[in-house]
Amino acid sequence: MAWRSLDPIRMDGILPYIECLAALVALYLLVGRGPRGVKVLGIVGGLATLAWMYVMAGESMTGGEGIGRETLFLIFSIIAISAAVRMITHSRPVYSAIYFVFVVLSSAGLFLLLEAEFMAFALVIVYAGAVLITYMFVLMLAQQASSPEKVTEVPDYDRVAREPAAAVTVGFIFLATIFGGVYNGWATLPPPAGNIEQNMARAEVLQHLTKQLRTAVETAEPSFQWPPEPDANDDIVFADDEGIYVLGTTDAGSHQQVRLPLSAGPRNTQFVGWDLVGRFPASLELAGVILLLAMFGAVILARRQIEHGEDELREVAGMPRLHDSDDHSSLDVEDSTA
Amino acid sequence: MILLASAFGQQALAHYLLLSGVLFVIGLVGFLSRRNLIVMFLCTELMFQAAAIAMVAAGRYYYDFSGQVFVIFILTVAAAEAALALALVVLLFRRKSTLNAEDWRELRE
Repeated sequence: MAWRSLDPIRMDGILPYIECLAALVALYLLVGRGPRGVKVLGIVGGLATLAWMYVMAGESMTGGEGIGRETLFLIFSIIAISAAVRMITHSRPVYSAIYFVFVVLSSAGLFLLLEAEFMAFALVIVYAGAVLITYMFVLMLAQQASSPEKVTEVPDYDRVAREPAAAVTVGFIFLATIFGGVYNGWATLPPPAGNIEQNMARAEVLQHLTKQLRTAVETAEPSFQWPPEPDANDDIVFADDEGIYVLGTTDAGSHQQVRLPLSAGPRNTQFVGWDLVGRFPASLELAGVILLLAMFGAVILARRQIEHGEDELREVAGMPRLHDSDDHSSLDVEDSTA
Repeated sequence: MILLASAFGQQALAHYLLLSGVLFVIGLVGFLSRRNLIVMFLCTELMFQAAAIAMVAAGRYYYDFSGQVFVIFILTVAAAEAALALALVVLLFRRKSTLNAEDWRELRE
């Protein structure tokens, strides 16, 4: 990993804000629905600004053997940003949804780069698979043209933006705040987790994964002798900046320790599962309640109200009908299945 | 090799945070400037997405997995929000046969 340092001297002053301003001006030209030339200008300006941001951020393309993480990050972030811009500028909502899928997929790629495999796949399944399909359904449902000739017509509210100037002003303030904070403050962040913190996190979870721990120890050291009662209360797993160790006893009663390879440690999914259930059990329950309530709410909101006539009510109550005609009820049944 | 402890320094975190900020602002501008109800809600999903990237990157930086756990909750809230918002959109569309947010101006009074 050779992230070239963000040179703090070059980043100082007003340059980051000019960068943000240029980016938002390009976005304004794209959103503004002007003539074609203006849009081309916006695209060119946006690309130039992205390149400028990239150069200013001082990222290095020389990423060692193969495709380096920096290059992959660059590719994924360019796809994400350009798809996001296209998503908010496209005049057809269905295409917006499809461009959003690109954003989701590239952020799943970024999650993979961040060693968050579980979240990457969960994102693809939940977002690209479920949420976006729901959006598509509603879009199809709500995009019924009033007549066959108007099928290709884009309604006015999709072509003309609402107050683009005010929107990009707000966006500029936001982006300038974030960029200013990151550019001027990244060097003062507390140091990242080093080897010792990472190994300690691994050891803490591994201690509770009894089966995996046992297998790993027996693979590493077949003659290992467990302490008399190796339950979760005994701290038999510990770590330093070199690796994870397991403490045992020899026949003579003295201590014996085995160093485990890093690959014996818990995987990302095990970490996430442990944190989810071990540290935030109440939040997990709450998430379930939220989903349940959302389901009820959606069903109740989207339900079509059916007006029952007096005949149907009498029928349900087991009383004879007042009128003999069935036309009324058959109409209502059709309505409810539509 | 994914399990090997690879360096994830301050510069790397800074890059992810900048990307997250850019995506969030694009979502914000879209939410403010589009008039189609469904696209507006799509833009909120984009903002959720940006927040998720920031969470996971910060969690990676500190090697603390509550960042990813938080993303699970973001997914939950996003799914619930999508269900409710789309139900509301369907309801509104039935009333006026339009997705234009401006047609519902009277709601603000």
